[in-house]
Amino acid sequence: MTHEVLIIGGGLLGCAAAWHLARAGLAPRLIEARGINAGASGQNAGSLHFQIERRFLEPGASGQGAQIVRLNTLAIEEWAGLEEELSRPLDIHMHGGLMLAENEADLALLASKVARENELGLPTQLLSGTEARGLVPRLAPHICGAAWLAREGHANPRILADAFADAARSEGAVIETQSRLLDLRRDGESWQATIEHSGRIVTARARHVILATGHWAARVAARMGLNIPLYLAPLMMSVTDRTAPFLPYLIQHVGKRLSMKQTDDGNMVIGGGWASAPQKMADGLPDLDAPPYLVPDNLRANLEVAAGVMPCLRARSLIRSWTGMTCVSADQLPIVGEVPAAPGLFVAAGGSMFTLGPLLARMLARSIIERAMPEEIALFSAARFAHLNAFAVPS
Amino acid sequence: MSRVADGVNRPAPITIEIDGAAIPAHPGETLAAAMIAAGVYRMRDDRSGAPRGMLCNMGTCSECFVWIADGQTWRRRRACLTPVAGGLRAATREGQP
Ligand SMILES: Cc1cc2nc3c(=O)[nH]c(=O)nc-3n(C[C@H](O)[C@H](O)[C@H](O)COP(=O)(O)OP(=O)(O)OC[C@H]3O[C@@H](n4cnc5c(N)ncnc54)[C@H](O)[C@@H]3O)c2cc1C
Ligand code: FES
Repeated sequence: MTHEVLIIGGGLLGCAAAWHLARAGLAPRLIEARGINAGASGQNAGSLHFQIERRFLEPGASGQGAQIVRLNTLAIEEWAGLEEELSRPLDIHMHGGLMLAENEADLALLASKVARENELGLPTQLLSGTEARGLVPRLAPHICGAAWLAREGHANPRILADAFADAARSEGAVIETQSRLLDLRRDGESWQATIEHSGRIVTARARHVILATGHWAARVAARMGLNIPLYLAPLMMSVTDRTAPFLPYLIQHVGKRLSMKQTDDGNMVIGGGWASAPQKMADGLPDLDAPPYLVPDNLRANLEVAAGVMPCLRARSLIRSWTGMTCVSADQLPIVGEVPAAPGLFVAAGGSMFTLGPLLARMLARSIIERAMPEEIALFSAARFAHLNAFAVPS
Repeated sequence: MSRVADGVNRPAPITIEIDGAAIPAHPGETLAAAMIAAGVYRMRDDRSGAPRGMLCNMGTCSECFVWIADGQTWRRRRACLTPVAGGLRAATREGQP
């Protein structure tokens, strides 16, 4: 039997794509090496950040603001409709987000960011320090301004991928865990996958394959002789003990790495893109299957940034820190779509794929269902890196 | 639960405080060991008010969170990872006594 679509990877991307494809009657099969949501999709900060991110304001990252804003605007609508579409509560909070400025230089950067976003159609607003403290009275007195976006927020990364997987199953998708792709090769008009399923080796044929393998994607592709420019980003997160609710918003910082939010239970979740250190294999390359090590200096620095803007955190206790791995692309924008050198092979990885995952999974599914790349995401297509495979002979 | 006594030499006991009661403990023990030796198995209550106590005894399950006095504030700590020290004040409810 030849499947119409075989999806590799049961993270947010894979599960959401499975749901869209199943709803369209394509009965996809999804294989996941470990368990659903075992990768970055279950380890991330859960931030829904729709303002232009700090990393896109760093030197050398200019020119991408427009693409990102366009995508984020679509993502806002995607998240706003998710609970209804999946008909279950998903802890999605879109009460607003603040990107803070601590000094004049920060404020200047924020002002130009807000002006640019407004030009691009994103309704961010520049707030004074006093207005920001009007929203969050516990902000430090020296916070001198903030960019406010009314529909930013956060969601619970522990339940979303599972919700998509359940919905996909009920629409006829076949989802197999403990099922690892070992080998993938082109065979005539279709793809042949070799899969290890609970210790047994099986094969499967499919017309379309989606590589939704997160930070494993570049290595899986490399094994087939294909180059997809995705680079590891080992990160860390922390959470404090519970405190009475006071922060219904997402907090970011324009000049420093910070993301902060409060869960329904009252815990403060703190991150913002601070690095952890991958474990190494015998050959010195990062071990993609092992959790990265926490870097104590980065943990301290991260918490210092958080307590710097929210002094009340100094009275809280850290109850847990964890690490996770994700990947960023060569130009920091997501890579989504068919790989030109390998017809029928689709990839979706890189970038803020929690925020963008539900939207991009829908677009990816559409490009298979409609047999054409949706115009909305043409800019993120894998074709922009086609030159990297100019001499590739996919095996 | 009581400490093994036969064939064991322990340093002289110190005094710690759990929910306001003075409890003897030996240097080198964890707070969880001292609490259990004193018959305190309920280390915290969960949101529903149900009792929680030590489970993994190695710092991974977070079941043994207690409050420990730190100057004027109370901090949450895992009892199984916290060594006892003279004057330690621990509580199974926030800010008590
Ligand atoms: C600490 C941290 C914080 C983050 N914070 C945010 C945030 O706040 N907002 C945001 O937008 N993004 C955030 N991200 C990024 C976001 O989590 C990822 O971009 C997103 O989860 C990627 O989803 P995915 O489905 O592509 O990959 P994953 O969730 O990693 O899923 C890939 C799956 O593929 C499986 N797999 C791999 N190889 C194989 C194989 N050979 N066979 C079968 N299965 C295989 C893996 O087991 C895994 O389950 C963060 C990431 C981290 C690590
Ligand atoms: S008993 Fe598990 S963390 Fe202490």
